[in-house]
Amino acid sequence: MGRFIARRAAGTVLVLFAVSLIVFLIFNVIPDSNPAQNMAGRNASPTLVAGIEEEWGLNDSLPQQYATMMRKVFSGDLISYEGREDVDERIVEGIPATFSLCIGAAVIWMSFAILFGYLSARRPGGRLDRLLTVVSVTGISVPEFWLGAVLLNYLAYRLGVFPSGGYVPLTEDPLEWAYHLLLPWTTLSILYIGLYSRVLRSNMLDALGEDYVRTARAKGLSARQVMTRHVLRNSLAPIVTLFGLDFGALLGGAIAIEYVFDLNGIGLYTFESLINQDLPPVIAVVLFGAFFIVLFNALVDVFYAFLDPRVKLGRSAR
Amino acid sequence: MSAEPLLSVSDLRVGFATEGGLVQAVDGVSFELAPGEVLAIVGESGSGKSVTAQTVVGLTRSANARIEGSIRLGGAELTEAGERELQAVRGERVGMVFQDPMTSFNPVYRIGRQLTEALLAHRPEATGAEARARAVELLGSVGLPGPERQVDRYPHELSGGMRQRAMIAMALMLEPQILIADEPTTALDVTIQAQILELLRRLNRERSLATILITHDFGVVAEIADRVLVMHEGRIVERGDLDRVFYSPADPYTRKLLGAVVRLDQAPPLRQSRGEPPLLEVSGLVKHFPVKRGLLIDREVDRVRAVDDVSFSVARGETLGLVGESGSGKSTLSRSVLQLLAPTSGSVRFDGREIAGLSRRQMRPLRAQMQMVFQDPYASLNPRKRIGQIVSEPLRIQGVASGRELRGRVHGLLERVGLSAAHYRRYPHELSGGQRQRVGIARALAVEPKLVIADEPVSALDASIRAQILDLLAELQGELGLTYVFVAHDIGVVRHVSDRIAVMHEGKIVEQGPADQVCERPVHPYTRKLLTAVPVPDPREARARRASSDA
Repeated sequence: MGRFIARRAAGTVLVLFAVSLIVFLIFNVIPDSNPAQNMAGRNASPTLVAGIEEEWGLNDSLPQQYATMMRKVFSGDLISYEGREDVDERIVEGIPATFSLCIGAAVIWMSFAILFGYLSARRPGGRLDRLLTVVSVTGISVPEFWLGAVLLNYLAYRLGVFPSGGYVPLTEDPLEWAYHLLLPWTTLSILYIGLYSRVLRSNMLDALGEDYVRTARAKGLSARQVMTRHVLRNSLAPIVTLFGLDFGALLGGAIAIEYVFDLNGIGLYTFESLINQDLPPVIAVVLFGAFFIVLFNALVDVFYAFLDPRVKLGRSAR
Repeated sequence: MSAEPLLSVSDLRVGFATEGGLVQAVDGVSFELAPGEVLAIVGESGSGKSVTAQTVVGLTRSANARIEGSIRLGGAELTEAGERELQAVRGERVGMVFQDPMTSFNPVYRIGRQLTEALLAHRPEATGAEARARAVELLGSVGLPGPERQVDRYPHELSGGMRQRAMIAMALMLEPQILIADEPTTALDVTIQAQILELLRRLNRERSLATILITHDFGVVAEIADRVLVMHEGRIVERGDLDRVFYSPADPYTRKLLGAVVRLDQAPPLRQSRGEPPLLEVSGLVKHFPVKRGLLIDREVDRVRAVDDVSFSVARGETLGLVGESGSGKSTLSRSVLQLLAPTSGSVRFDGREIAGLSRRQMRPLRAQMQMVFQDPYASLNPRKRIGQIVSEPLRIQGVASGRELRGRVHGLLERVGLSAAHYRRYPHELSGGQRQRVGIARALAVEPKLVIADEPVSALDASIRAQILDLLAELQGELGLTYVFVAHDIGVVRHVSDRIAVMHEGKIVEQGPADQVCERPVHPYTRKLLTAVPVPDPREARARRASSDA
């Protein structure tokens, strides 16, 4: 196990290195125009451009340029020349909102997905199953930015039941925190609930035909014990994989939802930086997002071994 | 029958509603089970024997199942019982053991957890420690070495035989009066089968455990049963004491089944060697698999010697039987011979040419001359392709034929293996196991190979179908002058088809020679072990053999 985790950690570092190289290539090497000009923003003075050229060592060799860029990202002196802000500071400021949104939504979507999947698989083709199928497919089909806007329009602007957006820190007022996040959580969860409950349902129906389920029944377990201990338990692996991918990607910023609900998180920062063609923050958020995707992929692999002891950790490491 | 029956089933009918109408799987079956007896229900796949057994404890109940008749267990009528009553019967009064111990255990839980679950489901007042103690005790009594350690292992960490023992222990957790064993040895090697049958016999004797044994194999029946029911198309066509059914079968179907059993002492006539150079010559073949370990970078710390210095040759038109248990290296050997696995060292000469170490590209023109028939006709045919596509694929790949000519050749092949042109557009799942294996053979023969390596071609088939497939292989050999390497774990089956036999054990060939000599005057103790494991489809002989081994 220790060996597996060590390998996976080494692999994670390697992938991140590769991602940082690609980011470097895309922003600093491939473009035909002067990277300093790109970084400086739209209405930059020639002195600023010259200053950036100097600061980023853009006349040095490529490996040196790469090292300078990485040093800037990790030492915290990456600056947005557009707004004269410290990029790392802005990212740290955005973490509470983004993480509150994602973790809360993840709890909601996993709970409901497992519940819905379970209820559907209990009586496939039954009334409840058909109802949940309609609900799930609708959830999958509705674009989240549209759903968010509709919910805001009716529940916040017209009825005034919910606040119209914004983020209240958990440490300031937990109730307001949850109240402000309830609509974003719901909006973000609906797609995933639909998707995950469908996947879980079909996995459970497959598992129902397995020999070990017949054995469990032959032992005299009740229908519920068979469903939870044997069928559900053995069907979780695929949605854990999905969860690792989706959750890791969201932690890097839920752009649409943060924008619609005006949550001052990493997603919103990403959005603004992209609109303003503000290069330094874009570099930082891409690396930040990649870190969580790679991290959660590694965590899923480790968690897999707990879900299924047949996974031979040493072998799957590569 | 003197004693009051434990279980009595009368006029049981089980039908399943399908798209094509009602399928009557069990059609008016009646029987009784006396305390302490072993009742064998024999029949081919689809005869309704498993459905009958599973219906006894209500496992076949579903929305589209129609169950009629009566099942009385100790005075209670089970066909009218509710799901809760049936749950109380399952495990508590009737224990069940299934065919494949690998898939019948839940792979994600430890053995101990699965055993204690059976007890705790019925005795909520029992503590985990009590249940565990019981599990350890039972695992010990079914012959698992070191049961305290085995309870904490996962199913995949046990061998097939050990898993089936654990499965039997699980069925006994609540000391049921009845054990239903549904093909308990079909997925196992013959040597392991002999051990499991011995265990079932011992449990029956020591615990006076009434046993219903479901099987397709009369050899297994002769080893263990007191009474026999023969099922065919949902009905019982013959019933009686073991010896009566074996020595004076009344029903023509029983006679047919008994006649189809492959017997160890029936060997084919020896073919004359024609003095030509051998088609296949293997010498000093070695295949090692490295075992690697290391924190970040793998180092080779050990190697598994799957094939360890093996030499043999096969003459043109001859059949070499390669016998050994699972894990003896026989499948690795056949794959290394065909260069599907690159041998570690050694030489393989095919038709006078060295092929060990040839690249994939160099092997391609030779592939047509050496084909393989696989064990599992269910898993080795692509379920999404039609039979015609499956058989014609090698012809298309090798560019032998196309269009109308291709179709004609495939029709011819299908007819040659005993199918018809009507099967061309069918899918594998629409065919029976025997028919599927015929498709596997047709596919192998499509490119007119010289050498066919058949890896356990009949071990997934019913005993009654085995003889047909073996006869087909022999017939094709005669017609087409094929050379076979026949790989199997059952030396009885191997003898039935082979001119010469090579016995493999732990990666080495421990004995080889003419089939008669190896079977009648075995030199190596391992060969003798394999020979005694073959079930004899003859109750008197089986009893005599048991008596001599007990003494």
